[in-house]
This record gives sequence, structure tokens and C-alpha cells, in this order.
Amino acid sequence: MEEEIMVMGTLEQLSSVSPLSSSSSSSSPTTHDNNNINSSINNHPSSSSSSCSSLCVSNVSTKRTDLSTDLRLGLSLSPSQQLPSISSQQIREHRSFDCWPPVKSTLRSTLVEKSQTTSSSSSLFVKVYMEGIPIGRKLNLRAHHSYHALVKALSHMFKTTILCPGSHQLPLKSGNVHVLTYEDQEGDWMMVGDVPWEMFLTSVKKLKITRADRC
Amino acid sequence: MAGAYPWLEEIRLKRMVVSDESLEIIAKSFKNFKVLVLSSCEGFTTEGLAAIAANCRNLRELDLRESEVEDLSGRWLSDFPDSYTSLESLNISCLGNEVNLLALERLVSRCPNLKTLRLNRAVPLDRLPNLLRGAPQLAELGTGAYTSEMRPDVFSNLAEAFAGCKQLKTLSGFWDALPSYLPAVYPICSQLTSLNLSYATVQSPDLIKLVSLCEKLQKLWVLDYIEDDGLEILAASCKDLRELRVFPSDPFGLEPNVALTEQGLVSVSEGCPKLQSVLYFCRQMSNAALNTIARNRPNMTRFRLCIIEPRSPDYLTLQPLDDGFGAIVEHCKDLRRLSLSGLLTDRVFEYIGTYGKKLEMLSVAFAGDSDLGLHHVLSGCDNLRKLEIRDCPFGDKALLANAAKLETMRSLWMSSCSVSFGACKVLGQKMPRLNVEVMDESGPPDSRPESSPVEKLYVYRTVAGPRLDMPGFVWTMDDDSALRIS
Repeated sequence: MEEEIMVMGTLEQLSSVSPLSSSSSSSSPTTHDNNNINSSINNHPSSSSSSCSSLCVSNVSTKRTDLSTDLRLGLSLSPSQQLPSISSQQIREHRSFDCWPPVKSTLRSTLVEKSQTTSSSSSLFVKVYMEGIPIGRKLNLRAHHSYHALVKALSHMFKTTILCPGSHQLPLKSGNVHVLTYEDQEGDWMMVGDVPWEMFLTSVKKLKITRADRC
Repeated sequence: MAGAYPWLEEIRLKRMVVSDESLEIIAKSFKNFKVLVLSSCEGFTTEGLAAIAANCRNLRELDLRESEVEDLSGRWLSDFPDSYTSLESLNISCLGNEVNLLALERLVSRCPNLKTLRLNRAVPLDRLPNLLRGAPQLAELGTGAYTSEMRPDVFSNLAEAFAGCKQLKTLSGFWDALPSYLPAVYPICSQLTSLNLSYATVQSPDLIKLVSLCEKLQKLWVLDYIEDDGLEILAASCKDLRELRVFPSDPFGLEPNVALTEQGLVSVSEGCPKLQSVLYFCRQMSNAALNTIARNRPNMTRFRLCIIEPRSPDYLTLQPLDDGFGAIVEHCKDLRRLSLSGLLTDRVFEYIGTYGKKLEMLSVAFAGDSDLGLHHVLSGCDNLRKLEIRDCPFGDKALLANAAKLETMRSLWMSSCSVSFGACKVLGQKMPRLNVEVMDESGPPDSRPESSPVEKLYVYRTVAGPRLDMPGFVWTMDDDSALRIS
């Protein structure tokens, strides 16, 4: 072991150290939601946590923030996860790791979702028609979490068999068998089930239950 | 590895990037492969899982806990051949999309040794009874979304199916839990030892009814919707409780949204003699409460407290919480893990260094006044293995003075502290058996003066030398050059 640095300091040597200024300027302006928190001990905490919170909340839906419930915020960011070939969708938002309090991302996104669904802006009622029946129904798509649940609810509501998306068996002669189609934002009628559920929710305008032998 | 250990049976990885190619290699190279646990991993898709399903004839355990999987389709599950019956544990709770439910039902019912089944949110509640009936020997279940149109037939079907699982001891899942469906689990509450309700956004009365029936409960994870009242009932009902975690339902709100305070934790510490592991998020704390908790539970081994507002003082006296945490380390002589929060001075670290002799892991945020704080910990905690620090005024002196200590530890993490780039270089140069990694996204640290603080510092002992696979914002300080970029 080399000589010069103190490898085992003593309390005496350190007790003469003057307390460091509380404004640790450890972060450059471009990083850190917690810059405000850092700047002074007397900083009013609520302003800093609100700036953190707005950043944290907005990051939730787009990026994975692998926070564990302990304070090991940065360790969860394994730098080796960054690969050059990763698409822009997957580039990690490292900044969001600085969030406080240290709540797991999976939990955080559930809570954010819950707080959104309690406000009416996040229910998604669409019209549903069944072929041959002039009066339609309305259904809240956000009450369901998967295609399966949706098809089940509609089958029950309209008292018919609706084939699940992904089942490729179309009966040759279909009597009371239907499939589910939807009108997207561009006005086109599409088969339900080809795109991931969340993406479907953003593009669906209305639903139609069509006879299977028509498709 | 495939060449070297063809008889490899188990692989467990955490926080690693795993590709589909790797999964394919695993699937095809290890004939007797039995256990794959990927914890918080990422980089693979359901195609990789398909390879595992199709090829690993002897697979017993597939656990993807909290991994991020690119979920291309739920078809992969059907790739388990009909002849495959050895599954004992399946955890797909992290998957986003629906798996093929029929394939899942068939898989579950043909594997007689299936003990653990953790479903993902996309498995609808009305399909759960079939799954349970196919595996009445199940010991651990994670439900999917715990909500459905309220229909009596669905409810009774579910309750009956739960009642048939006489060995079920662990329950989790409960996404989107509808309170009216919670009673379906009442028939088995008395046999439960572990209950994870951290995704169940239901209110206190419903939680209380559930929890009060679980007389054998040893582990409870729950949201703060349970409130102080609920924790009091817990303390009265669950005398075997060993671990409690209470998570915040509104972590970023400025005002409390629930009636959960330090009192809840005090009640549990009084009523549950075996309580030894705590993780508690709350918005107020007092030295008096911490003192009471410490005296009630000297058998505490893990104590992690997160007072949501950084630097919150004792709400009664407005003093720092040094004495309260001091009481914890003094009375809980077997304390192995501690997380601090609230307003804390160097004094708390003096207590920790003095009393925390068995402490192995310490997490610190927004605490302390000076390097003395860090020095107390590094010089006093004989068994310290992992130390993680953020936003504390700790700098070069304590770090360099205790450099040798770092070789006895597993790792040190410091972010947003006052450690200078120059000190990191010195540390790296003088301690060849440590990897001193500096992470800085604003550019190479040597583009700034040596005295400027680094964003993040990670120090750990190594026999393998510096890593060669780091991304551009990570630098190793070592003796070859002051700065090496991989």
C-alpha cells in the first residue's frame, strides 16, 4: 500500500474539518430534478418535491425507472443496460432515477393510473353496434384491461359469441358467431386485436360487432 | 458457459441485459436446465421465452420478476409441449400482454408439482377459478387484475375455487382490486402467511376486514390506505407478524391523503412481538415514537423509514430525528439494515458508528452536516457491506481517510454529494483492488476542474479489474490513466 494518502484517518484529523456548505453544487444545471432540493438546507421542501413530482409523474408512462423501494436509486440504473443498438424508445431517462421518494416504478405507475382513473377524463366510452340492430350501446373501454375482457363483456352484453382476437379459426358456416371490428381515427374499419391493447385504446373511435362470415 | 458447464441447471440474474439470443443458447445448450430467474432484467422478448418453453424439458422454475420484457405476443406459452409437466414455479407478473389463456390453463393443470403461480395483470378474474381448480396444490398465487363486472356467479365460482386451495399460503397481485370481490378470499385467510396488497388500491375498511381474518399472517405489504386504524387492528389480529411494508398511495402529493402517521407503526411495534422487518412510508415522525418502537422491538433486524418530505424534523419538537434513530441502533442490537430519513445531523451518524456494530446495509438521503458524519459510519460500523448515500454534504476527506474500509465492503454509492473528481482519481489510483466508477452525464469529468463534484460515484471491490462494457457516461478511475473511457 502506497504511503502518502491517509488510509486510516482519525477522528481528530477530521474534527477540524469545517462543515461543508450545504449547497452541494454537485449537479450541473442540465441534470437532476433534485437540484432544488440540493441547493440549500433551508430551501422550502415543498417546492422542490413538486418540481420533482411533476418530472417524476411525466416520466412514468414513457420510461422505465427501475427504482427499488430502498434509496438505491442510482444502483438500479445499471449503466450496462445502455446498448448502442437500442431504439430511441428504449433509451433510459437516467434523470428520472433521482426521484424521491424511492418508490418502485411498477407501483408508481399503478398509483398514477389510479389517480387518473378516478378523474372522469380517463374513462373512454365508445359506441358499440351489433350488425342488424339499429340501437347501439355504450361501453367504457377503460373498465377493461385486455381484449379478452372486452370481448367477454361484449359477448355478455349482446348475448352472442364473439371470437377472440388471435383465434384464427373462422367457422365456415357461422350462424350466431361474430367478430369485433373498430373504426380508427382515420375512419378505417379494422379487425380488433392486431395491435397492443394500450395502442388500441388510443386509436379506437367506435366498435362494431360483425357477423363472422362477412370478414 | 455452454461449453464449460453443459450440466448447468440454474441461472439467476439480476439487473442484467439478457438477449433473446442468450435465452436461445440457454434453451439449447443445457440439457438438464431447471431454473431460470431473471430479476429486474431486460433486453429480451417473448421470443426468447418461447425458446425456453420449447426446449427446456426439465424446467422447474421460470421467474421473470420485475423484468422488462418486450411482449410481442402471448403465444410463447403455447410452446411448452404437451408432454411437459415439470413446472413448479412460474412468475410472469411483469408481462404486459395477455398470454394464451387456454394454453395457460392446460399447462397449469398438467403440472402436478406447480406450487407457485404469479399471473400478470392481463389475466382476467373470471378465468382465475379454472386455473385454481387445475392446481389445488398451489402454495403461492399472484392474481391478475382483481376486478370484473360484479356478478354473483363469478363471485361464488371464485370463492369456491379459492376454498379448494387448501395449501395456499401466499397471495399477491390484486391489481385494480374491486372491494366487493375481496371476500372471495375470506375462506383461506386463516391459512395465509404472506399477503401482498401493494397494488390493491382499496380503502381502509375493506383492508381491515381482510387482514383481521389472517391470524397466521407473517408478512404484509400494503398501501397506506390501511391507515393508523387498520394497523391497530393488524396489531391486534396478527400476532405472528414478522414483516410489514407500508407503501405511499400518493407519494408525490404535498398533503397527506390518508390518516397514516407514526402511530400506526407504533401500534404494530407494540402488538406484534415477532416484528423484525419494517419498511414504512409516512409523512410525520417523532423522536418519541422512534424511541418507543426501539424499546418495544429490540429484535428488529431491518428498519427502513421513509418520511416523504426530505429533512422533515420531529413534528412535535421540530428537532432533528437523531435521537430517535439513535435509539433504534442502540436498542436493536441485531440491526442489519437501516434506512434513514427526516432531518438528521452528524450526530445520528455518531450513534450509528457507535452502536451499529452488526449493521450491514445503510441508506442515507438528505442528511448530515459534514464529512464527520460519513467518517463515523465508515470507521465505526464493523460489519458494513453496502452503503448508499444521496444528497448529503459528504466529501473527499472522509472518503479518502477510510479508503481501506472500502475494500472490506461490497459497495459504496454516493450521488449528489460533494466528492470531487480529483479525490476519485486519487482513490482509483491508490486502491487498485477497487473499481472507482464515476458517472456523469454532463460530459467527461476532466473537462471540469478537479475540485468540481462528481454526479455519481460507485466504488466496489474487484478481482477482475475495471469493466470494459460501460456506456459513455461512466468512467473508471484507475492507475493506468487518470481517466479511462471504455
